[in-house]
Amino acid sequence: MKRNPFIMTIGILLILTAALLLMSFQVRKSEVAVVTTFGKVTSTETNAGAYFKFPWPIQTVHKFDQRIQSFAIDKDDECLTADNYNLVVMLYVGWKISDPAEFFPKFRNGSAQEAASTLEGLVRTAKSAVIGGHPLSDFVSTDEKQLKFTQIEDEILARVQSQVNAKNYGIAMEYLGIKKMGFPESVTQEVFKRMTSERQVYTSRIQNEGEAEAAKIRSAADSKSLQMVADADSQATAIKARGQAEAAQYLSVFQKNPDFAIFLLNLNAIESSLKNRATLIFDQHTQPFGLLQGYSTNLANPNQK
Amino acid sequence: MSDHDHDHHHDHAHHGHDQHHGAAQPPAPVTQDDAGSQALSEALRSSFVIIKIFMVLLVVVFLGSGFFTVGPQEKAMILRLGRPVGEGSKALLGAGPHWAWPYPIDEVVRIPISELQTVESTVGWYFLTPEQKFSKIEPPPGRSLNPALDGYTITGDRNIIHTSATLTYRIEDPVHFAFDFVSASNAVQDALDNALIYASSRFAVDDVLTHDKQRFQEVVQSRVTQLVQREKLGIAVEQCAVVSIPPRQCKAAFDAVLTALSTRETVYNNALRYTNDVISRSVAEATVRTNAAETERVRLVTALQAEAQAFTDLLPQYETNQTLLTTRLLTETLGQVLTNVQDKIYLPERADGKTRELRLQLSREPVKPAAQPPNP
Repeated sequence: MKRNPFIMTIGILLILTAALLLMSFQVRKSEVAVVTTFGKVTSTETNAGAYFKFPWPIQTVHKFDQRIQSFAIDKDDECLTADNYNLVVMLYVGWKISDPAEFFPKFRNGSAQEAASTLEGLVRTAKSAVIGGHPLSDFVSTDEKQLKFTQIEDEILARVQSQVNAKNYGIAMEYLGIKKMGFPESVTQEVFKRMTSERQVYTSRIQNEGEAEAAKIRSAADSKSLQMVADADSQATAIKARGQAEAAQYLSVFQKNPDFAIFLLNLNAIESSLKNRATLIFDQHTQPFGLLQGYSTNLANPNQK
Repeated sequence: MSDHDHDHHHDHAHHGHDQHHGAAQPPAPVTQDDAGSQALSEALRSSFVIIKIFMVLLVVVFLGSGFFTVGPQEKAMILRLGRPVGEGSKALLGAGPHWAWPYPIDEVVRIPISELQTVESTVGWYFLTPEQKFSKIEPPPGRSLNPALDGYTITGDRNIIHTSATLTYRIEDPVHFAFDFVSASNAVQDALDNALIYASSRFAVDDVLTHDKQRFQEVVQSRVTQLVQREKLGIAVEQCAVVSIPPRQCKAAFDAVLTALSTRETVYNNALRYTNDVISRSVAEATVRTNAAETERVRLVTALQAEAQAFTDLLPQYETNQTLLTTRLLTETLGQVLTNVQDKIYLPERADGKTRELRLQLSREPVKPAAQPPNP
């Protein structure tokens, strides 16, 4: 019997391929797989790669996403803080399947959605418990030492994680954070009123401060100007005094003949005092008008009365 | 297809068998049969060749389908039987042509990288429908904010503000970004939302809106950076832009503050200008006064010097002839004076020697300001 070896090889390959497809499975990176034998979990594969299994209906493979999934808790339920403020806090949560063998039987078909809604319940309980243990100043404060923002987030996360661990869900909580934080709607109106009045106070304070500052600057300028003029006056007086002192050195010259000096100075005085717009009344005793009388020209010996 | 081939082969073999069996049969039909079977086997052989070529081609096409190109804005990773080929960053294929086995042996995963991605956080902004956002026509503000719809953040001094942020980032570690998160961009968005709430909770309202805008933005950015690092998102924050406004319900009051601030600035500047005016006027005044004094000093000294000079010059003459000199000087001076004097009245003594009574009406024309002499 002559059989074509080429055809034979192809046939065997095909049979092998079919068998491989039935008896193996791939675990992709970012996936985990759970193998069940007659419905019971018998093994888990967390590393990526190809694995063998018995064909259906003996063994079945369930694959799960091992990546971090997230969801937000955005129901606006109000929580009471320790000092009785109503606070609306919304959170986001990141989690992933850490143990698929535990995770798979806890939720129907290992549904991630079901797991998320279970987690949501846990997170909401933990949220209101933790918020109830902190005053509002732990959430918002201008004093950084008072703020416990990240501690609050960590506290909620730790609480949820311990719940998840206790129930053996096979879930790891990766992160949790506050996504939104607000007051109840009615409170916002009050806040706006307060903010408006605060602004008004601030406005008038600015105005008053501005006026006061300007007045201060102006009066400082005025006093500085007075000071400068006064300084200049005293300087001027000093200069004049120096002039007098300098002039005094010439007085010694006049010592040679004080009578003549006085005469000359008087002459100068007359000349300079009668320079402008003066009215001069004189009689015949005044020289040289003594000439007008025709006699009594003796200066040294004036006329009789 | 291969099953079909198999059948053909079987038929052929069967046929040959028949031929073998029919050896005892009469030769004439055998010859005929032989010719027919020869033609058939000839036809079968040639179709076999065609099928073989076809199969080889199929294999070539099968292998050729494994070629793929990676663009400049992306990286690719080959998952062989689900496991990445290569370790860490070596698993990433850069731009260019590559080859992988076809599915299900290999799977090519493409990851966008190096292009900048942007997320925007509106968790602190009031509610707008997409149409309103697009048309920029906003409805008037309501009296209050609904926490389910409208976003806002609470500041450290318990005020309400609106703030929004736009974050630009680059994927630095595509393996983490693509394989560790169902939706990494959602995680970035969450981190940005959180950063806005976090930063607001520690700033006073005025710091966010006016004094410390820059620092507020820095706190938002550093918080986002810290969060994405802690969550190992594998991204690098490039830029973070933050816009903050006061709630529209209090806009008028906030505007009034701004007006007051600018008025204060004006008042302040006016005062400074006044200072400059006053000071420069005083400087001028002071200079005038000191200069006047200086002039006065020089005049005094020069005048006295001149007189002293005149005295020294005239003294010899005086000593020689006192009367003549004095008379000459007096007369000269009087002559000079009388030339300058405006009104000159000569009033000789009465013959009886009694004093005369003289009445003067002093009604001078007022001094013209321009002609005012410097010395009174």
